[in-house]
Order: sequence, then structure tokens, then C-alpha cells
Amino acid sequence: MTLPAAFVRELEAALAPEALIREPEQLRTYECDGLTGYRSVPALVVLPGSTEQVRDVLRSCHQHGTPFVARGAGTGLSGGALPVAGGIVVSLARMNRILELDLESARATVQPGVTNLAVTQAVAADGFYYAPDPSSQQVCTIGGNVAENSGGAHCLKNGFTANHVTGLTVVLPDGEVVRLGGKGWDAPGYDLLGAFVGSEGTLGIATEITLRLLRRPEAVKTLLAGFDSTDAAGTAVSDVIGAGILPAAIEMMDRLTLEAVEAAVHAGYPDVEAILLVELDGFSSQVADDLEAVLAVCRTRNAREIRVAESEAERALLWKGRKSAFAAMGRVSRDYYVQDGVVPRTKLPEVLRRIAKLGREHGLRVGNVFHAGDGNLHPLVLYDRRRPGEPERAEEVAQAILRACVDAGGSITGEHGVGVDKACSMPLMFAPADLEAMGRLRRAFDPAGLANPGKLFPTPRLCGEVPGPYRAHPLEEAGLAERF
Amino acid sequence: MPSVSSPASAEEAAALLAEAGEAGTRVSIERAGGDLVLSTARLDRLLAHAWGDLTATAQAGLRLSELNAALAERGQTFALDPPGDPTLGACIAGNLSGPRRHRYGTARDLVLGATVVLADGTVASSGGTVVKNVAGYDLGKLLCGSRGTLGLIVRASLRLHPLPAVARTLVVELDGSEHARRLVRALGHSPLVPSAVDLLWPEALLVLFEGSERAVDEQLRAASALLGGGEGGDWEAVAVRQLSSRGRRLFAPGDLRPVLEGLPSAVVRPSAGVAYVPEPVEEALDEAVRRLNERVRHEFDPERILVA
Repeated sequence: MTLPAAFVRELEAALAPEALIREPEQLRTYECDGLTGYRSVPALVVLPGSTEQVRDVLRSCHQHGTPFVARGAGTGLSGGALPVAGGIVVSLARMNRILELDLESARATVQPGVTNLAVTQAVAADGFYYAPDPSSQQVCTIGGNVAENSGGAHCLKNGFTANHVTGLTVVLPDGEVVRLGGKGWDAPGYDLLGAFVGSEGTLGIATEITLRLLRRPEAVKTLLAGFDSTDAAGTAVSDVIGAGILPAAIEMMDRLTLEAVEAAVHAGYPDVEAILLVELDGFSSQVADDLEAVLAVCRTRNAREIRVAESEAERALLWKGRKSAFAAMGRVSRDYYVQDGVVPRTKLPEVLRRIAKLGREHGLRVGNVFHAGDGNLHPLVLYDRRRPGEPERAEEVAQAILRACVDAGGSITGEHGVGVDKACSMPLMFAPADLEAMGRLRRAFDPAGLANPGKLFPTPRLCGEVPGPYRAHPLEEAGLAERF
Repeated sequence: MPSVSSPASAEEAAALLAEAGEAGTRVSIERAGGDLVLSTARLDRLLAHAWGDLTATAQAGLRLSELNAALAERGQTFALDPPGDPTLGACIAGNLSGPRRHRYGTARDLVLGATVVLADGTVASSGGTVVKNVAGYDLGKLLCGSRGTLGLIVRASLRLHPLPAVARTLVVELDGSEHARRLVRALGHSPLVPSAVDLLWPEALLVLFEGSERAVDEQLRAASALLGGGEGGDWEAVAVRQLSSRGRRLFAPGDLRPVLEGLPSAVVRPSAGVAYVPEPVEEALDEAVRRLNERVRHEFDPERILVA
């Protein structure tokens, strides 16, 4: 679809020539994000360098009724940055400066294109860190984290992106610039900042982001426990939580994943049905007391093997297998579908059994490697796209898993977002009146519906289409990113 | 004379609001101001306590003291601790919080999902009952601080925390704003993990430690060695002063000293950047943000049925 000539002229006036991308082969770089089953080539990509340029771009979009999709590093797993037909992509890649480090306030203010890890790297020498740690943290951007309310393995204790953003400069879809929050909490008025985080690019574009920094904990302890069943491991998770201990992370891997990981990185994991990786941090004697309590739970649940990392090197080795799990799965299976769902922690054993049964019924293997502490499942449905019918069966299993999560009282997504991938699954969780109420917030910010249209909300047009299966993202294939 | 209604369910509340909308009756929630006053007095039940999941779902009219008494049977608590024993709904609508926000956050961090009856009688839920969930807009956050202008909150699902085995407090007498700043900074750069750090300005710094007996004991001693002072402190005095405050001052945490210099008396939470002060303070919104707030209110209540 061609863009109005006047619109393009306005963009040319607002931006430097190199900040406009219009060559077809270059545009193709932007045709998808980490969810590669969906592709759509944008009409134009702009790379603004400042809040003012974003404002100018969105003003023109507003004037000409052109939809826009904001994009960070493109590592999202729900198609949130999928371009829309006849629209432009606003890449925030050039807005990659850390604007201010105010350590006295324990705040960092950054542009949206700064990577997640760069924030921690900038303050590590002073003993601070930025807590949310999505697995793609080396490449994913803070702007994308804000859009998706990103989590990570260590969000069990400290919460998600929404719990760490205190201020935002947002360019609204009509080009107006608003400053929400600041360095302190409790700004007067509605918590528009809180509502914006996790809105998946549908309410505007954040151009300056103020983050809370945490003090690095004095002590960290990591332990691995092997179990004879995922049931026992899952029960141990809710025992730990029920015992009043809040670890920094509790991760689970099942046998299929363990085999893949051992073949790939030789982490030295035991030969068991499931392992838990538990990390505790905080004040040293509190960590020591909590460690004893976790060990007691593991013994009660008949853990076969328990290892406590005695050095930073041992700790890194325990995590290495976990962090390479998704990539390792590629050795076991040509293709796999990554699901993202949440269940109450006490329902983990039951839902894991149901997932195994679903796999058996469909003749497919399902591996589980996930954030057990907060009940966030990431089942990997293995298949081979060359075998007729397998991609469709994998899709069926993945959908059935989502229904199992909702039936258990959980959620259709814990951290990957709704995007285009799960828009049609929203009615599993929300009634029409619920979605209509969300639509009111959308209209207040974006009455013309220009910001990332077709995402998050189920629409008849969208929900008539069949979602495509998962394929490796180019970044992942190049070894630059992992997903977990 | 305004009439008062106490609906016992979301459906009853929806019918009342729909009726008010048709009649053009102005409605206020839990306070005078409207022709009809909606009370949550009969929406006062704890609906579920999933103690193994550290979550609970309760109706909005339940008082925190009653909620916490029930949760304590399983050794758990809802960590929000504003003074004065408000209802859950008031905590959310008024964005109320207390000293322990330093560690546990505020309503926006602890509310997992909420059900609200909008001005036109629509009953809408968002969020969920699990601790991790990014499906859809988080309208629960929007309700935090909405002061009854977006709808009647009827229930909320909550993130809980274990009751600590031990809780003890260090109190340090203050000697001016520079002293206060130095203490807060030293604490912030130490390995100590307090649950609350409050200035009962200008008299004292109070630091709360929670956890295992050994860890609390060690932290209390380390804190005393670092900051001076000794065990003691009166959190009730903090609660009374916060409750009697009529205004707030918001500041960047790093600006603690200049803020203190202008304050005769206050409760100050340095890490949050909020000071509760005796006199009312006008909290003006930037013009663009004010307009956006208005647009949100207009979408949720175009007829202005709900009065603040």
C-alpha cells in the first residue's frame, strides 16, 4: 500500500535522510519480530533520534490517519512489533542513550533503545542493578520491556517491569507529549504510568523512561535439587512458597529438557525426571536460614540429589544449562512451539500432568523449562514441519495448554504478551464487558486507533486467521539471543 | 438529603448505578457528595485464600484488620499497612500505603486483578488471580488513586506475603536534615534489607527489620553500629502523624535534604519520595497530563455520574 505523498514529505522534513528506510530489501528486516510465523512488510520505517522527532512523526501519522508500530530490538515473542499493512514502523533503535544516572535517588533515566543489560552495566560498579532480567536482556530494549511489562527468571522476588518504572515521557498517538510520574512514586491523578506499562504499544510511544535501581544483595545462594517426578518437584515449589520463603528465582526443567541440555552444554545435571534450580539472595544470615528451610523441603519431597553452588563458577554452571535450554532443544527437535501460560503455583503438578497427556494424545513430545516459582509455564511442543499434519497438531497442543492454564485459574500469558499471537485467546480469560472496559482506556489514549492496531484485542478479521507455528528468530539462529 | 445504598453484590451495585445513570442521579462512593451514596459495607467477605499460592481474593468493603486476621491463620498477610484500618477498596481507590511500602510496594504492586462496576452498570474485570500475568490492560493499576471516579471497586485479588517470624525496630534520634540524609544514604548503601525506613521528622529515624530471628538480630545490631541509636521506636506515632496529615509533598529520593529543610513536621518515606505534611498541598497536574486524565474519566463515565 502506498503512503500519501504529503505524509512522506512531512517525514522527510522532520527526519534526516538516513532515518528513513524505504528500500524493499531493507524493509524486509522489519517484517517480523521474534514470532516469525507472522510477517508483514511495512510501507516505511523511520528511526527518530529524539522525543521531538517521535512527536513530529506521530503528528503526521495522526494528520494522515496512518497507523504506526513501535519497535525496539524485535525480540518480542507475541508479534507485538509485527508491522501493519499500510502503516509505518517507528524504530527506537537510534534512541539508545542513558540520559541520567541519579544514584542518590537510585534512578536511571534512559531512552527506549537502551538494552536491558546496559542499564545494569552502567551502575554495577556502584553496587546497583536493574532487576527485571528477560532472557534476551543482552539485546532487548527497555522500551520493549515497558511495552510488554517484561519479566524474567529473577522476577519472583522483585517483580516485573511495571514494578520498576517510576517515570515515563510518552508521545501520545496524536503527537502530544506527556510526562507521567517522575523519580518518586505516587504522582497525583490516575496511575496512567502503571496502565501504560504492558500496553503493548497500543497507547503511544515511551521516549524517556525512569527506572528504579536496586542495591546488589550481600549474599546469593543457588541450589539444584533433582526429583523422581515433575509432581514431586512441583509440590516442592508450593511447599517453599507456603513455608514463607521468597527466593529470587525458582526454575524447573523436566527430563526431556535435561537430556537436551546435557547433550548441548554438559552442565552436569543429575539423571532425574525433573530438577529445580533455586536462588536465594539478600542479607547473608537470612539467606543461610532460608537455604536450610529450602533444603528441608527438598528432603521432605525426597529429592534424589541436592547440590549447593559453593563458588561463583559453580553457580554459573548451574545456570548455564537453564539459560541454554531453548537453544539445546533445537538439537532434539527440528521445530518447536514455545507456549507461555501461567497457573497458580499449587496447580503445577496437575497442569504438568495434563500437558504430558495432551502431548501423548497428539503423538508429540513436550518439554518443560520454566519459571516455576511464579507458576509461569513455558512448554515446548516439539514437531517436525516436514511431516504432514505435525505443525497443526503442535498448534492444537499449544492451544489446549492455554485452555488448561485458564481452567486452572491462570493466565494465557505471563511475560510474552498478547500481541497478534494471542489476541484471539483473550476471550478465554475475559468477558466481552471486560474487553470493552479495556477498550475505553484505549480510546482515551488513541481514539483514532493508530497505535499498533490489530494487537491485543480480538477482532473478527484477526481471529479468522490461523496463527503460524514458531520458527527460530534470526537473532536466535545467530546465537545472539536465547529465550526462556 | 442523600440516600445511602449498600449493595451486597456486583450485580446489585450494577443495577443501582445503571438506575442512577438513567435518572441522572449523581453518585458518590463511601463519602458524601452525591445524591446517592454507595457504601461497600455489605461487600465485606474474604472470598478465597489460596494460601499455597500466597494469594487471596476479597470484596472491597473488607477492612484490612479483618482481612489480615483471617490471613494470619495461615501465617500470611496483605503487606499494605496504611494507618487507620481502611477498607480494601479505600486502599486501592485512595492509593493508601504505610511504612512497609519500602519493601513490599503499594496497591499497584500488590493488586493482581480487580472487578469494578462502571458508572453505566458495566461489570468489568481485569488482571487475574495469579502472581504473574500480562494479558490485557491492567485496569487495576488505573483504579489505584482513582478516588471513586472511574467506578465502584467490588473485589480485588491480592498478592500476599508470609508473616515474618520476627519484627524489630531501630530508632535513631535525628539532629537536622544533613544528619537525616547521611543516615538514609548510609542505610541505602549497606547490605541491610529493612522493611521500612521512615523519618518521623524532625525527631527520629525508624528502621524496621523483618525475617528470621537470627537475621533480624544481626541486622539490628549492624544498623545500630552504622547509624547509632538503639532498639525501640513508636510506629503508632508514625501512623497517627500520617493520618493527621492533610497534604503530601512528592520529591526525588535524592532531594531528601532540601525537602526536609522546608518541613516543620512530617512523616517522610525517603525511598518512595513522599512526605506527609500537616497542611494541605495543592497537587497540580501538568496541563497535558490533566487533559489525558480527563479523557480517561470521560471514557469511563461520560455522563459524570460519579462525583469525587
